[in-house]
Amino acid sequence: MTAEPRLRSARSAPVLPGASPDLRLLRLPGFWIVMAVLAAGAVRMSVIAGQFAAAYPIAFLTATGLFALLAVPFWFVVSELDFLEREPLGLQVVAFAWGGLVATTVSIPGSAALDDLIAKLGSPHLAADWGAALAGPTVEEIAKTLGVVAIVLIARAQVNSVLDGVVYGAMVGLGFQIVEDIVYAMGAVALAGRGDHVEPVITTFLLRGFVSGVWSHTLFGALAGAGIGYLVVRGERTLRTRIGVAMLAVLGAWASHVLWNSPLLRDGLGNGALALLAVLVFKGLPPLVLIWLLVRSAHDREADYYAEQLATLDDAELITPAEVEALKSGSRRASARWHARVRAGFRARAAVRRLQRAQARLAVELSRGTPDLGCWRREVRRQRRILTRLGHPEAIAPEGRGPWRRTASAVFSTALAVAVLWAAISTLGGG
Amino acid sequence: MGSVTRRQLTNLLGALGLVAGLGGLAYGLPALNHTLPAERPVPTDRPYEIGGGVTVVPPAGARIDVTETRPAEASGTVLFRLGPVRYFISVQPFDGDLQAAVRRLRHRITGTSGYQVTGTELTVATAGGLAGIQGGYSGPGRGGRYAVFVADGHTIEVTVSGADLDLGRTLPAIDASTRTLRSAPEPTR
Repeated sequence: MTAEPRLRSARSAPVLPGASPDLRLLRLPGFWIVMAVLAAGAVRMSVIAGQFAAAYPIAFLTATGLFALLAVPFWFVVSELDFLEREPLGLQVVAFAWGGLVATTVSIPGSAALDDLIAKLGSPHLAADWGAALAGPTVEEIAKTLGVVAIVLIARAQVNSVLDGVVYGAMVGLGFQIVEDIVYAMGAVALAGRGDHVEPVITTFLLRGFVSGVWSHTLFGALAGAGIGYLVVRGERTLRTRIGVAMLAVLGAWASHVLWNSPLLRDGLGNGALALLAVLVFKGLPPLVLIWLLVRSAHDREADYYAEQLATLDDAELITPAEVEALKSGSRRASARWHARVRAGFRARAAVRRLQRAQARLAVELSRGTPDLGCWRREVRRQRRILTRLGHPEAIAPEGRGPWRRTASAVFSTALAVAVLWAAISTLGGG
Repeated sequence: MGSVTRRQLTNLLGALGLVAGLGGLAYGLPALNHTLPAERPVPTDRPYEIGGGVTVVPPAGARIDVTETRPAEASGTVLFRLGPVRYFISVQPFDGDLQAAVRRLRHRITGTSGYQVTGTELTVATAGGLAGIQGGYSGPGRGGRYAVFVADGHTIEVTVSGADLDLGRTLPAIDASTRTLRSAPEPTR
């Protein structure tokens, strides 16, 4: 007897995309409470920003500008994680604002108090060595996780997969990371005691933005968000299991943060490039790999489900079987765009991207059971016609060496960027 | 007027739980922190290790405030309290000269709203041979004294603050303590 092959999406709770948020959420008390909390956080952080701007106006503007620019690629990557069912922009903004305004506002007094408690209940030596590793992660991870809970409270229907939790958690973490980096940069300016100079801002930007940026709050927030996503979505599991998994995920985020902040490996390896590499590999890589595996698993599960929906259309003008396969994976989607650029130029690349988006949107509407799919079908056909006119009628990923060349190019570019950054940091004395 | 639905009630309870969680972090932890005493007795008959290889003999009657004391290998801070007077020493890695270190501290003092440097600066020396510069500052309702030393790739910043009457009473003991500052270079690995 042979077992029937089963889709990954069928092995767990069904993917049920919710309708876009509408005015009904105004009737939820949670919406108004979350808005009030966001407003309070905005007031508090505005006061702090005003103090920075008054004392060091040029440095503050530089820090805000640089870290705002840094947020753009991070935002793009995070919002692209769930390409097939993109989260509403408004909710992404709320998640980002929670991280930047609320979690930071709460963490400043909370972390300081916990650091003091470590010194009082332990010793100043313990606080000096482990205060930053224990106090910050404990308060910050809780404050950030509450941001994903806030999203669930105001738009429960939008959190319908573990991947949604990852996206909102990462957005909360990104908001926190950007604002915290600005605060750190201004702290460096004040500590330097040279007045309104931008050098400490640049050094902080390179060190915190690039060298340690990838391993930072966005990653920890994503892990905790995955746990909240699991708690909300996996209704077929017992409540005890769901709460256990959610707590494990938050604990994982906390542990990753503790490991990153800990004095482990700080002594004994010195301050050279090799030491930095060792720290990145042993402290940063494990949570990065864990999250990557988690995102991939959640994405594949969701992709299976939407691919099944699209396959029922049986209309090659809407989507071909090869396009369904390409749409299921982030790397194959990128390969299809790359392939279009090589064959028909940048306009074809952009057209493939628009077609993929239109197909993904159609899949989501199919899943929602939207009675009239006319406008979504028309949009896919419109994009198909554009692609056909450009001489590249099918958005497929090529077999063979194409993706490897793209990967090699990305690895080379990354290595070059790291080398340039390292040289810049060394020149500025931050290394 | 519509009645409150079960969903709205659950949503309200969830949101209140959220606010309670935030309140616990923002106000609960600081409140718990304030219930515990921060000061500890410290031996005043032997040197105290601040960090970065720098030591000082605390003034008689001083107690250490553990919330602002962070001794580490390459840097460190210590806050002694003599009643209402704060006697704070900070040791940080530094690659400039004494004048640059003094400028840096003056910038930080005057960067705080309402604070200004007063009087002229004088040279000071410790029993261990450290040469430094000392000056005064004032803030809202408080007076203060600062001293800066540079030794072995570190800057040692001393700030003393309190009401004028309290300062007048405790400064001799604090000056005597400052003169016991010593710097021993960190062993190279």
